[in-house]
Amino acid sequence: MKDRDEMLNRLFRAAAIHDTNPEMPFGFDSRVLALARERGQNGSAVIALFARRAALLAMAVIVIAAAGVYQLADSTNDLQSEYAMADNAIESNLGE
Amino acid sequence: MDDDEHARALVDRARGDDSGAARELIRQLYPLVARIARAHRPRRTAEEDLCQMIFVKVFQNLHQYSGKVPISHWVSRIAVNTCRNALAAERARPELRYADLTEEQATIVQNLATTSDEVAPDRKLAARDLVEKLLTMLKPVERLIIDMLYLQERSIAEVQQLTGWTAAKVKVTAFRARQKLRKQLGGLL
Repeated sequence: MKDRDEMLNRLFRAAAIHDTNPEMPFGFDSRVLALARERGQNGSAVIALFARRAALLAMAVIVIAAAGVYQLADSTNDLQSEYAMADNAIESNLGE
Repeated sequence: MDDDEHARALVDRARGDDSGAARELIRQLYPLVARIARAHRPRRTAEEDLCQMIFVKVFQNLHQYSGKVPISHWVSRIAVNTCRNALAAERARPELRYADLTEEQATIVQNLATTSDEVAPDRKLAARDLVEKLLTMLKPVERLIIDMLYLQERSIAEVQQLTGWTAAKVKVTAFRARQKLRKQLGGLL
């Protein structure tokens, strides 16, 4: 086992990396900045789109609900006046 | 102003959308990132692509940098984690057979077994390829540790700094990885 350990050490020593400073490829910084901006913008754009859609949906629900309430209130007034007319008719008939 | 302060000033300016500062930061950090990517990249991933991936992550998370540690340590950790994830996507090979070796690699194995001489300088490239083949048998974290400790010849303390692990974890992982490599090497003899 010790022999294999020693073999491994010799192999590692032979394969060890003694690099000089790697040089940056031409235009690498521009590519990185463009990608970082694009991904950053995409993230906020998705959130903005979602927020806009949610706001529009909420507005539509409010408008429909308001219209429903108005219509209901209106129809209740009609019913009250119909009752009043019927009462009047009954009272006038009984009076005769 | 020392290097670290200068780097911090660049980070502050880069956060404020100063593209000149961001470019300067990339230029300064490129050698560090390239060395990590070169040592830990999966076989099928190009070094430049991996560097690009790392730098994009760095700039997307630059607002999270607290300034408590030097920027080079923070970037190193992002680089190591990105490499580890890239390596994890690559499946470990079940075993390496003698028939998988090139003629030169087979000669290296025979020489290691029969002599106690160091590998000849003209065979260093083949030795490096052989080690890369052996490393594909290991888990990504084990590959990283073996690479840092024995190929880049970093100290335990440096590995701790780069990975954020305890010394015990680094040593145990290295021990297990060496055990597997010894077994693999034994299978080739």
